[in-house]
Amino acid sequence: MSFEVMNSPLFSTIQDKGRFSYTSIGVTNSGVMDEYSYFLANKMLENDKNSNIIEISFSNVILKSHVNTTIAITGAKCEFTINEISKKIWQTHHINAGDIIKVGKIFEGSRVYLGVKDGFNIKKEFGSNATTIKEKLGGISGDKLKKGDILPCKNASYKYKMRLKDKYVPDYKNELELRVILAYQDNHFQEEQVKKFFSSTYSVSNEFNRMGCKLSGESIACDINGIISEGICFGAIQIPSDGQPIILLKDRQTIGGYPKIGSVLSIDCFKLAQVKPNCKISFKPISIDEAQNKVKEFYASFNV
Amino acid sequence: MEFKLASVDSIIIYFGNEISENIALKVKKAYLCLRELNLEGIIEIIPSYTSILITYDIFEYDHKDIQEVLKNSINLDAKDTKAEKIVTIDVYYGSEVGLDLEDMAFKTKLSMEEIITIHSNKYYDVYAIGFLPGFAYLASVDERIAQPRLSSPRKKIPKGSIAIADTQTAVYPQDSPGGWNIIGRTTRELFDKKLDTLSPLSVGDKVKFNPITKNEFIKQGGIV
Repeated sequence: MSFEVMNSPLFSTIQDKGRFSYTSIGVTNSGVMDEYSYFLANKMLENDKNSNIIEISFSNVILKSHVNTTIAITGAKCEFTINEISKKIWQTHHINAGDIIKVGKIFEGSRVYLGVKDGFNIKKEFGSNATTIKEKLGGISGDKLKKGDILPCKNASYKYKMRLKDKYVPDYKNELELRVILAYQDNHFQEEQVKKFFSSTYSVSNEFNRMGCKLSGESIACDINGIISEGICFGAIQIPSDGQPIILLKDRQTIGGYPKIGSVLSIDCFKLAQVKPNCKISFKPISIDEAQNKVKEFYASFNV
Repeated sequence: MEFKLASVDSIIIYFGNEISENIALKVKKAYLCLRELNLEGIIEIIPSYTSILITYDIFEYDHKDIQEVLKNSINLDAKDTKAEKIVTIDVYYGSEVGLDLEDMAFKTKLSMEEIITIHSNKYYDVYAIGFLPGFAYLASVDERIAQPRLSSPRKKIPKGSIAIADTQTAVYPQDSPGGWNIIGRTTRELFDKKLDTLSPLSVGDKVKFNPITKNEFIKQGGIV
């Protein structure tokens, strides 16, 4: 009983919330880039909140079902079909053995999440199914999904059909404001540099992957060239010597020596995960108290 | 100890602002202390040369609570009672695998044997682990054999290579691009899924390199 990967041409991986407590030896957290879409998929399936899921970043992923079950599909707006019949996303679908599930073109956003009732039955490695290719950990033998991979899952009779209310379905625009907590080496950036950072509009460059997102625009100067390597958290904004900010995401390196002006609010990084190169990015400061409240609200709404 | 915000759910503690044995010792004491306490709601602890980054559950602590908890939990005066873990790594230092050994001998005006003796005589501290999983930054290398990074990095440094950059030394846990000077190779796994801890090293450990012959290296599975 499984899903069989018929086609996975570019980059789809098995992910979950991530792998924790190994960063001290250089193993990154990994995990889904967009937790909003991830938690909603699992919630619609009434799954365990940490169930694994397929994160699809490029078109033309085809799966064949060898099981009767229910799936949920969330994230980027895409061409989605079951047996070549167009279906809606942000909802659950019943699947019968023999069905062909296809995620075709991605129109808006950039990552699609496909979850199955009770998750895929894959052995965790070091506490997680999250695939980190650099470490060859998690997923199916530590790699992205390939044609022929078998994703075991069980027969599941799930009566309900769940659909997200339209007002909760995100709109992936071509501009995004990210809230930033000034942190780390912020006092090594002079006032006018901080002002410039918050008043400029950047665009997302092509250097955007699961590790991080490099922006291009007004260059920001730091009083210091480099720092003694230190731990890097999710959302940290590095300012290398060329002054172009880099926002570090789920597969980031664990330590590094570039100065950091602060960190993007985690829940805004989930929105960033859905943008495309050339998207306009601006920053807005947020206090730590407000930031903690916003993040708590986010997780409380999913009961996670 | 100086506390600084890192993100919505992370805080960084600085123990100084230079790379030194004294500061590394403080980091090590604090790190071992936190690991030992195993406080609920602490998600990640990343020690490095002068700092420790801590990610915590904001449903357990707010940014003020966590500072208080950490301040009260970390005891830098504690005598380190636990025996230090010393990890010995067998190394074949030969010019077939020590790609920069000859060049280093030329630059340092030392013989290759002298470089090997100087490198393998010392106990190194693990100051930080990162860059690659299991890549441990070890220091300090004797000034006589300290060498700057190569001006153009290699596209591929073979797994197990023993390397020097300035006064730091390291073992490449996997094939990787890199600019460090390569002086030997080991068959020891530095990132090993068979280990519960994934890496035989952790910050605060000591490392000693043990020179072995080409025959021993091959017997251990080494490829020349």
